[in-house]
Amino acid sequence: MTATPSTDRTRLAHSLVLLVPAVLFGLLVSIQWRTQSDRNELTIRYNTPLLDAAKTLQNEQAALKLQLADLRAQLDKIQTSASTQTGASKELQAAIDRLKLVAGLTERAGDGVIITLDDARGASAAKDVEKSICHNTDLTDIVNQAWRGGAESIAVNDERIVGSSSIYCVGSTIMVNGTLMSPPFAVAVIGPQNELLATYDDPTQLRDIKQRRDVYGLGFRVSRATGLHLPPYRSALNVRYATPR
Amino acid sequence: MRSNAGVIAVTAVALFLGVLAVTQIQAQDVYSRSLQLETPASLTTLIANLSERNNAIKDEILDLRSRTETARNAIASGQGSLTEAERQLSQLRVFAGMSAVSGAGITVRVDGSFDERALSDLVNELRNAGAEAIAVNTARVGPRSWFGATADRALTVDSIAVRGPWQVRAVGAPDVMYVAMTRTGGIIGQFELIYKGTRFDVSRETALDLPALATPLR
Repeated sequence: MTATPSTDRTRLAHSLVLLVPAVLFGLLVSIQWRTQSDRNELTIRYNTPLLDAAKTLQNEQAALKLQLADLRAQLDKIQTSASTQTGASKELQAAIDRLKLVAGLTERAGDGVIITLDDARGASAAKDVEKSICHNTDLTDIVNQAWRGGAESIAVNDERIVGSSSIYCVGSTIMVNGTLMSPPFAVAVIGPQNELLATYDDPTQLRDIKQRRDVYGLGFRVSRATGLHLPPYRSALNVRYATPR
Repeated sequence: MRSNAGVIAVTAVALFLGVLAVTQIQAQDVYSRSLQLETPASLTTLIANLSERNNAIKDEILDLRSRTETARNAIASGQGSLTEAERQLSQLRVFAGMSAVSGAGITVRVDGSFDERALSDLVNELRNAGAEAIAVNTARVGPRSWFGATADRALTVDSIAVRGPWQVRAVGAPDVMYVAMTRTGGIIGQFELIYKGTRFDVSRETALDLPALATPLR
């Protein structure tokens, strides 16, 4: 069997065609392997029951919040019908309604801005994972900036921000008012549009987020929004230790 | 024949590669954010947190049920529902930071260099641990409060300057808040690593008196 120059060339061409995909294949397999190996045996053994428990608690919370909303509505109905009776109770009811509005316990509609925050999705994200993903501190900074700019009401992915709200991070999961959420985040802000836009444009503010957007492709965008609808706060009021003086 | 076999081989490899690449991209995307990939320790913290929140909602449901019943009975007997309205108003005034409050809680003392973002993070952490009312020095923190800094290194709460050493006082369950602040890997531990030379002290308090918001919400 003696190979002719033409069959040699064909073989070489075939080998080259296969070489590139083979190298890529090897690369992908090794990345996949490394991704998998990050999950150690402990994670695999204990995560299933823990995940089940977390999901059960989330479902329970959704049902409890519905019950709470229903009871609040019932009590409101009793109060409103009673407040038509006397002048004193009418005044009290007006004060209650005003406080509910400013404390975030009622639905709110109006104009303002929407800030979107998302993990970097492009190739630049690979440079530094920590700097390419959203952290709860990014959200607290964005919310702080909104109040500074004169915001009247804020909601993060439909969870209303009130006096007791926290933006909490467990591992890589973010929780607001007990609701678990993941990116992209939409921070809806009702308030004076020009002041709000100006406060986010201020180059001395949110420098870290803006730098990560420019270098690592973190998703961060502020835009004018009209006709926003913010839901009321749906969780517990939690006033048990504090007594008014 | 030979060239056909080559084409088939390349197509098969390319197809497999495509599937693998897509799987990899999806895996990476989900990897950063899936609950399934949290560590058992993170999931345990998450479960404790969810369970505490659910208990708070359950307590409030029980409380609201009895209040609804009381208000209904009062109206049925011709007494009106003033007591319930007063109770609701007083609860809302605390919640909105409109009334000065007393109660048990904790104090976090910060002596040394500190900044507004750290103060905002500390308040966020206290709220997550169930703080019902918070004040920084004598400035009450309200639902719309924001934190800033002045050129001369003072911090601000709603434009009111608060100077160090700072006392961040929070009314709420003292043990829960104390443990949340001081646990290994918790916020105070992180602060101690970042703000070297700054002294952080956390103490449980049996009675704290916090002022109302300087400017009431409108």
